[in-house]
Amino acid sequence: MTFEVMRPKYVGARVQRKEDPRLLSGSGRYAADVQPTRALHVAILRSDYAHALIRSINLDLARAMPGVIDVIDGEALASELKPLYATSRMPGYKPTALWPLARDRVRYVGEPVVAVVATDRYLAEDARAAIQIEYAALPAVTDANLSLTAQSDFLHPEHGSNLLVSRNFSRGNIEQAISEAFRVVSGQYRFTRTTPVAIEPRAYTAEWDRRLARLTLHSATQAPGIIRDALAEVLELNGPSIRVLAADVGGGFGGKVSLYPEEVIVCFLAQKLTRSVKYVSDRQEDLISTTQAFDQTVKAEMALDSSGRILGIRASILGDAGAYSIYPWTAALEPMQIAGFLPGPYQVPSYEADVQVVATNKTPSGPYRGVGRPGACFILERLIDKAAKEFGIDPLEFRRKNLVQPDQFPYKTGSGIVWDKSGFIECLDLAAEVIDYTTLKDNRDAAKAAGRWFGIGIASYAELTGLGSRMSAAPGMPINTGTESASVEIDATGSVIATFGTASIGQGLETTLAQIVADEIGVRPEDVTIVHGDSAAITHSTGSYASRSTVLAGGAAHKAGKEVREKLLKAAGFLMDCELLELEIEDGVVRQPATNKVLSFKDIGRAVYSEMGRFPLALRQELDLRATSFYDPEFGTTTSATHIATVDIDPETFEVRVLRYVAAEDCGRVINPQIVEGQVQGGVAQGIGVALMEEVIHDPQGQIFTASLVDYLVPSAAEVPSIEAVHLEAFAAGTIGGYRGMGEGGTIGAPAAVANAIADALSHLNIDITELPATPERLFRLVTTANQEKA
Amino acid sequence: MKPPPFEYFRASNPEEAVAALGAHGGNAKLIAGGQSLMPMLNFRLLEPELLIDISKIASLKRIEKGSSGRWVIGAGVRHRDILVSEVLGNSYPILRAAMTHVAHVAIRNRGTIGGSLAHGDPAAEWPMLALLLDAEIEVLGRSGQRMIEAKDFFLGALHTSLSEDEIILAIHLPPAPVAWGFFETARRAGDFALAGAGVLLETQNGKISEARIALLGLGETPIRVYDAEAKLEGENLNSTNRAAAMEAAKAACQPMTDLHASAEFRVHLAGIMTGRSLDAAWGQAIC
Ligand SMILES: Cc1cc2nc3c(=O)[nH]c(=O)nc-3n(C[C@H](O)[C@H](O)[C@H](O)COP(=O)(O)OP(=O)(O)OC[C@H]3O[C@@H](n4cnc5c(N)ncnc54)[C@H](O)[C@@H]3O)c2cc1C
Repeated sequence: MTFEVMRPKYVGARVQRKEDPRLLSGSGRYAADVQPTRALHVAILRSDYAHALIRSINLDLARAMPGVIDVIDGEALASELKPLYATSRMPGYKPTALWPLARDRVRYVGEPVVAVVATDRYLAEDARAAIQIEYAALPAVTDANLSLTAQSDFLHPEHGSNLLVSRNFSRGNIEQAISEAFRVVSGQYRFTRTTPVAIEPRAYTAEWDRRLARLTLHSATQAPGIIRDALAEVLELNGPSIRVLAADVGGGFGGKVSLYPEEVIVCFLAQKLTRSVKYVSDRQEDLISTTQAFDQTVKAEMALDSSGRILGIRASILGDAGAYSIYPWTAALEPMQIAGFLPGPYQVPSYEADVQVVATNKTPSGPYRGVGRPGACFILERLIDKAAKEFGIDPLEFRRKNLVQPDQFPYKTGSGIVWDKSGFIECLDLAAEVIDYTTLKDNRDAAKAAGRWFGIGIASYAELTGLGSRMSAAPGMPINTGTESASVEIDATGSVIATFGTASIGQGLETTLAQIVADEIGVRPEDVTIVHGDSAAITHSTGSYASRSTVLAGGAAHKAGKEVREKLLKAAGFLMDCELLELEIEDGVVRQPATNKVLSFKDIGRAVYSEMGRFPLALRQELDLRATSFYDPEFGTTTSATHIATVDIDPETFEVRVLRYVAAEDCGRVINPQIVEGQVQGGVAQGIGVALMEEVIHDPQGQIFTASLVDYLVPSAAEVPSIEAVHLEAFAAGTIGGYRGMGEGGTIGAPAAVANAIADALSHLNIDITELPATPERLFRLVTTANQEKA
Repeated sequence: MKPPPFEYFRASNPEEAVAALGAHGGNAKLIAGGQSLMPMLNFRLLEPELLIDISKIASLKRIEKGSSGRWVIGAGVRHRDILVSEVLGNSYPILRAAMTHVAHVAIRNRGTIGGSLAHGDPAAEWPMLALLLDAEIEVLGRSGQRMIEAKDFFLGALHTSLSEDEIILAIHLPPAPVAWGFFETARRAGDFALAGAGVLLETQNGKISEARIALLGLGETPIRVYDAEAKLEGENLNSTNRAAAMEAAKAACQPMTDLHASAEFRVHLAGIMTGRSLDAAWGQAIC
């Protein structure tokens, strides 16, 4: 028997965010807020060389400084720990040994070398200043092309080259497509390095429980489950000896989903010293040592027939992984996803992509909101606009013609991804309608005629979300990310508690999951207590990333919630002496409409757990009000969108202002429109940053220049327009609940839409935007060159 | 990112501050709003033995009319105080406009004029305003009180003619032309400018009788474009002398390349900012 929720009461409603009262009143609890008794504080001495051999380390002076408890270097750790490797089943892939503190050699500016433990952070930093290290500098490689062709001074000499990943995807006959093409458009695109910049810098507090001789790591992580499993491995502990808690996390964006050296260091030290140990990174450390993103150069060409239909795409992708292949995602993550998503939402019969990933002397790169898709979308959408221009076809029409059509789903792309039915064309139409595209074009033409540099940019994309066990989040990676669990129970007081492996990174998951459970069981969302961000509360989980939490944990919540509802009805039916079908549940009360008899959850909880005598013996054996379910969506589901942006460029100062921004997306069934809009707005703001200002800059020696927020620029409210997010639920997704993931999309579409708008504003100069961010300096150079060429 | 150890002393008057500075011979630092000093301490770019807190000295907070039409603004006056001061707004309307470009509200609430002048950042607004307004800077040291003209005060980036034992007491502003133009361009709202220009114009019978042009963010110090000023006098603003002033501004500046803009781009911007500020000031002067 199924108890389908016919008319959802809360799913779909603008329910106020459950987490906001605590977060907005400063009552959230972040890892740095945890104050264990007599905690010790760690300062990390980081390498200021990009590439060097460590000749000697002298810790004597530091050890003698006031308040210092311990000072450890890589050698001290190496005798006690195993290194971790991010392994992969991918042929030819080269893992790198991950030591929490550098041994023998440093490979990027910011790499941890020594950890100082003192009674407070000030004293720890004073002692850090007294550490003496002698380095022998090695040539640094900061350019991916040079890294690829280097013959010596490899970062990881055991591999005999800097190449960590080399792969080829191919489908159809791209040679033929190109040779028979009516037109080929091409370009070389550069997606510069960025960094996630969560408001909360990374922080870790390892709390030592003397009584049980156990560790609790309070971690600013998106993935408590991954961290628990990895720490158990590195520290050779069993599960219960290490609990990872992420009560509140101040933003992740992918930067908090890998295992970090400092997590291992504080846990190791807490065990060794049998004291609680705390490390809170400052902004500078966060900017130089949190995993960075992008940094790819892509050569791409698109073959088209005489009617402007895409025949094929060929690309070669060179990814700069930074110094290490990080755990668990590996160095393959971003560049491989670019190759995976480059065909986009279009019909592309032939496709070929070459991927090479090299190590360089920069901060390791890792996941970043959208993983590979922002870059893929930027490159593809630039090519699309270029092609539309060549054919003299309106860019919106050009897209409509080439998008996968509604009758073509499921559609298998050139990289092997299968799009299930999603509103590709419907999103395009909706975005055009909301922004009134026809009028907008007239306005643009009038503005340009009046000398304004005004442009319109469109970006369409599709992404695979809620990946199941048959579609790894990172190709060949060592862990399975295809499932999440939900445990739902009604306790002896009649309260509903739902436990998940996900984490609260500001995305509103406590509210959306509570809405799902509320509908399944028949209570109000505010009466559902959500427990997550606690590795001890679950058997296995990997956490919140890759637009998966709602699809996977939400699906599991439906399953477990249904089961608990069944149990509840069974108990109530017996207590009320009636058929189950006669019963209704609403807002925590079970009612028999015919008789108007009611039982509250409290009554039922008490009866089930404390007054068992009211049930026959046989029923007592099986009666509880709890269920745990795992959900694996197998492949995942397609979220699609079209973004349209307008920009104005000051022709003298080259400042770009984004004027309007419309994002129309099909993210399946919307659980909470307010939360969806918030995610889209935040994502678009981040993408505008990528388009206009965010760039990690190194000099050729590998020194990082963008080590403060004065130099690494993120958009503020003044630079972000009000973003209009519109949803459509075009086709039911095949996932339980019909949800599609939507936490990353804003960041995927925005760089492309803004880049296209800039190119449109500069169309009179025939300027191609091939590199982001489009800073005033870059635009000044492009325009100056274009003017010189004209003259 | 924690400061190195230091001693702390709160001065109750300028004399105490000077005595403490003198006693530590270069190893003491005054702290006012802390908006420039604290980051430098946290990055351990400075390691003073002693911090002398001057933020509670009442005499540094005055805004008053002095002799011969001058206004005297105490060194401890905060950017925000200027923004909301009606009297200063009437006499020097450019001040208000410029203050909206100084960082963000939270920083303007703490940062002081004295701190800004003493810090001597060539991209900051106050050094340029001091130069544009022909201000004099009143300082006190062990050898007594002296007045330093703004044009002699700024010697280089973060380098002024203050000696180690001197404290800025106030900035003195003589009467100045009221018609103003102020433009700057920054990467984001509130960031230090890539380039900026301030213009003051006085007109008589529809002709420019006095012109002042100053630049910020375009060299080691703020820059006055005296050449262009002289050439504008006795004329209307027209496209020829406007273009000449822009060229003069470009020629006068010697910007550096940094992460946010190249020297070449900044020179270009020097001209643009000058032109826009001239237009705005001229528009006010003739209306
Ligand atoms: C994020 C950020 C953005 C900013 N953006 C801008 C901007 O766009 N434009 C701008 O102009 N400024 C900007 N600032 C700087 C800000 O205006 C500072 O307030 C100002 O430069 C210094 O003033 P303070 O009172 O805070 O000085 P402090 O930081 O306290 O001191 C600065 C220096 O001045 C010395 N000092 C202070 N008072 C005196 C005195 N009376 N006599 C002698 N020496 C003294 C100190 O010893 C120290 O060397 C920014 C600051 C930040 C943090």
